Amino acid sequence: MTSATAPPAAGPSPVHRRPSVLLRVWWSDTFAGWAFISPTVLLIGLFGLVPVVWAFVLSFEQNDLISPGRWVGLDNYRKLLHDPAFSNSVRNTVVYTLVFVPVCVIGSLLVAALLNRRIRGITFYRVAVFIPVVTSTVATATMFNWLLDPDFGVVNAALNKVGIASQGFFRDPKEALLAIVLMTVWGWLGFGVIIYLAALQSVSADLLEAAAIDGCTRWRAFWRVEVPLLAPATLFLVIWLTINSLQLFDEIFVTTKGGPVGSTTVVVYYLYVQAFQFFNGGYASAIAYALFMAILVITAIQLKVGRRLSHGER
Amino acid sequence: MTSSPRRITALAMGAIAALTLAACTGSSGSKPSSTQSGGVVQITLSHGYTDVEAKAVTAQVATWNASNPKIQVKLVFNGGNDGALQKTLAGLAAGSSPDIAYEFGSSMAALAGRSQVVDLSNKVKDSSFKWTDFYSFERDAATSSGKVYGVPALVDNLALVYNKKLFDNAGLAYPTDSWTWDDFRAAAKKLTDASRKQYGWAYVADGSEDTTWRWLAMLWQAGGDLVSADGKKAAFDSPAGLKATQLLHDMAVTDKSVYLDQGNGNYLNLFNSGKIGMLWTGPWDLSSINSDVNYGVQILPAAEGTHSSIAGPDNWMVFNNGAAREQAAWTFLTWLTSAQTHGEFTLATGDLPTRASETKLDSYTGYLAKYPGDAVFVLNLGNVTKARPNTKSYPQVSQAIGSQMQGVLIGQTAPQSALTAAAQQADGALASGQ
Repeated sequence: MTSATAPPAAGPSPVHRRPSVLLRVWWSDTFAGWAFISPTVLLIGLFGLVPVVWAFVLSFEQNDLISPGRWVGLDNYRKLLHDPAFSNSVRNTVVYTLVFVPVCVIGSLLVAALLNRRIRGITFYRVAVFIPVVTSTVATATMFNWLLDPDFGVVNAALNKVGIASQGFFRDPKEALLAIVLMTVWGWLGFGVIIYLAALQSVSADLLEAAAIDGCTRWRAFWRVEVPLLAPATLFLVIWLTINSLQLFDEIFVTTKGGPVGSTTVVVYYLYVQAFQFFNGGYASAIAYALFMAILVITAIQLKVGRRLSHGER
Repeated sequence: MTSSPRRITALAMGAIAALTLAACTGSSGSKPSSTQSGGVVQITLSHGYTDVEAKAVTAQVATWNASNPKIQVKLVFNGGNDGALQKTLAGLAAGSSPDIAYEFGSSMAALAGRSQVVDLSNKVKDSSFKWTDFYSFERDAATSSGKVYGVPALVDNLALVYNKKLFDNAGLAYPTDSWTWDDFRAAAKKLTDASRKQYGWAYVADGSEDTTWRWLAMLWQAGGDLVSADGKKAAFDSPAGLKATQLLHDMAVTDKSVYLDQGNGNYLNLFNSGKIGMLWTGPWDLSSINSDVNYGVQILPAAEGTHSSIAGPDNWMVFNNGAAREQAAWTFLTWLTSAQTHGEFTLATGDLPTRASETKLDSYTGYLAKYPGDAVFVLNLGNVTKARPNTKSYPQVSQAIGSQMQGVLIGQTAPQSALTAAAQQADGALASGQ
């Protein structure tokens, strides 16, 4: 380096003058990176972050979403604790999640195991299982409305044939939530199957062969070798389906509208009623934040427990 | 570090972001394209009409524009009236509104009193406008806190629509205009045949306003009221309320003569296939009844001698975009809602007359010949004596009643406890609301 030998009195040579701030910014990787992602940052900021922050502010106001709001501090959150309709919606959401997630995960695993083999027409079966996932919720709901119609539905007709009395389904407060579970499992099963199929196909054939040589039956190999190896996929599915079932809305909106008698009013549907039917924007935002916190905590617990379990199995 | 193409790309991306931002800020705050040049005022009218109604309104506006060069009207489709309120509110928040918009009657409370919504109270007083020619319940529905904010755009009401063949098969005489609730209940029971899955009546039991408003008609027939005169307390937990609720319970639970529709409109398909004998419905359903179904229309049965019906009139509302446009909008609206213009509209569409004098027009006989089912509905406008209250808490009152009536219909809740619970919720909403 020449500058090291140059007399200090001569001052720094032009070559070694520190580049200007602008030039340094221009050449820095940070700048290039941010410039590349700036359109995305802008859009997510505008349509994602701004509403999130705005809703947080709203949750401390009494606000009809149009006129200027009135600051009420924690009143909305306090009201949540004493609102029987809200606790009813929490109860319904918890029951739904506790039934839907295990049924969907176990169902997906079994169907995926059935589809993970070389048989004639396997592509057809796989596509058939996946089609409900891409079918619009409204179409699914219309179909189930007719299938489960208490008077004219095919399901009750079939039940009657085998000597079982007609069921109320969406019309019966005791059955409506289970009918929603049935409908949503039908809609989500294909998703779980795809995840499990991918995971099953990454299970090394060597392991199964080794198990077979050690005298393991096909069934035992499935439970003892494959299922433990699927733990990461299961963890992902449980978290994904839990988040989705806590946010259940569309299926309720197009079938029972929260009824009969509030038996299918879940948290997000209650939020919708408060925000867009009663125009209680502040209260609805408080519900949204309460739900957000609940999902955050539940997901954190699932991740922690799930990671420990899947490491323990190996 | 010298790959300058990458740097240029990055810069370009940044520029796109900046442009997007500029475009976003630039468009907000701008008004819809409607200028005032050379003495011509351009106004926009937002509506959700489809099919024949869209064709008719388009033709009428074209006629107006051809003969009124100074006021040019531009039609804007709002994407369907179901979302009209949300769209209007978003427009108000963004500072851009049409000059005239079609709004559901139920949206009145949410819009009335806002600074951009024009108070029409003085305008309708002009004797040439003939405000009192509109039916009184329509005027009530266009009024909130004593001020007029709308001009009736569409009116309907509930009447009894019945399948003549099912009545003949059961050996029953057709409903008359002196039917009582007892006659109605007995006929429904006789029309019911569990083995053939045939029902006497259908009721929308989804717990929404659809459930509530039919019950409201019954409450009024029994001589009851929804809220107290000052609008601060629920008034429906009364002998009349109990009588109406008891009838629902007796028919749906005891007689099992009612098909409970879950809000998906199955009742109309079932009426078409001869599974349901009677409906309480409006003229909007007539066009969906198959031509091979021989149906009749009769006014609703009475309790306490009154055959009260209920209507959900919709309104044209005017928004403030400057004095010139407001004046032009009113001039156009006066023409659009005149007996003559609306009479032509009903002839093209089968909608009901909004003004009483429309039934005196020469074209009215042609209207009745073209839409025979509408005759009773027009007559029935005289049975609509009350309007739902235009208050911000009405949606909550409606939901409280709808949900409880759902419980009664499926046999889950006893009539009196349903009323008590609904009144308690409604009181809470009325006390905290406006």
